[in-house]
Amino acid sequence: METTKDLYFSKEHTWIKIENKTGTVGITAFAQGELGEIVYVDLPNVGDDFKQDEVFGSVEALKTVSDLFIPLSGEVTAVNENLLDNPTLVNEKPFDDGWIIKLKIDNVDELSNLLNHEDYQKIITE
Amino acid sequence: MKIVLFSDIHSNLPALESFFDDVDKRDVDAIYCLGDLVGYNIWPNEVIEEIRKRKIPTIAGNYDFGIGRKSDDCGCAYKTDEEKANGKISISLTNELVSENNRAYLRTLPAHVNVEFQLNDDQLNLLLVHGSPRKINEYLFEDRGEKSMIRIMEQANADIMCFGHTHKPYHRIFNSGEESKPHFRHAINLGSIGKPKDSDSRGSYVILEIDENASVLNKDSISVEFVKFKYDIEKAAKAVEDSKLPNSYADNLRNGY
Repeated sequence: METTKDLYFSKEHTWIKIENKTGTVGITAFAQGELGEIVYVDLPNVGDDFKQDEVFGSVEALKTVSDLFIPLSGEVTAVNENLLDNPTLVNEKPFDDGWIIKLKIDNVDELSNLLNHEDYQKIITE
Repeated sequence: MKIVLFSDIHSNLPALESFFDDVDKRDVDAIYCLGDLVGYNIWPNEVIEEIRKRKIPTIAGNYDFGIGRKSDDCGCAYKTDEEKANGKISISLTNELVSENNRAYLRTLPAHVNVEFQLNDDQLNLLLVHGSPRKINEYLFEDRGEKSMIRIMEQANADIMCFGHTHKPYHRIFNSGEESKPHFRHAINLGSIGKPKDSDSRGSYVILEIDENASVLNKDSISVEFVKFKYDIEKAAKAVEDSKLPNSYADNLRNGY
């Protein structure tokens, strides 16, 4: 998928798109496919701080619930409130309208712990 | 008041008949069916007609919703290719068997029933759903996190929430209030009459007892009894094997999974 080439990925199947010092975070197409239809997204509050790899929320699918792990440390600056009424946006457009939070990034050096597009593709096809 | 709650019959007439034999021996005040009358066995019309004959208040399960609309999707969220292939055979046979009159009945089943008790000290809301209040086909398994369960019950204003769909019975109690002023909420999964999956091949249903002093302040003020009953499993399993249905469904009946 062309649009995912510029993204960074965590092994826990979240992605982050970086513009200046702000990151937009969501879950990958692979992750939503494994979860199936999403029924609810448990969002954090704006202003919450998280350290890299901490749980910042969860997604509740028809058969299972999965924690969401934050790809980089930072402060939540926005949450996607459209997901409250329409959680299946995460299924339909995981890299676009289905974004979950925006983040003020603490430390870009942590990017070295993330995967690029190619490396992420490898782990999901293993 | 003693209330019998049952669900997930799934066209298993021998199981339904044994269930009624068991219930008829008991002194109960009310009975509700929480859906999924059809699918997976060979007697969808007989099961629907028995429930209609007894005028039992019934809500729609996901399978009833699909068959009511002649859909090829039962909303079962199958995971494996084998489950999906078997599921197609089941929904196709059920669509073939169900009469138009019974299909119309399935289409009119309500999504939820809310029973509001006015007791001595408190009001208690009993909510009956098939999967969850927000989705007819959501699976609320026993390991669902407490935060999620409380949120679901609070949003639905349910003090006692009864549901089925997973075919695995349990009763969990949550306190959504504070220690000094508790608000106990009960989540009760009924198990299944005709397709149990809790490794016990017997059918399963619930008798809920609410007395006049029941309250959200006291977690022990309602009683929940899980009843297991035997039925002629071989009759149902052999009927599966003699039909177009996958033989694995017969093994599921014999083994309770």
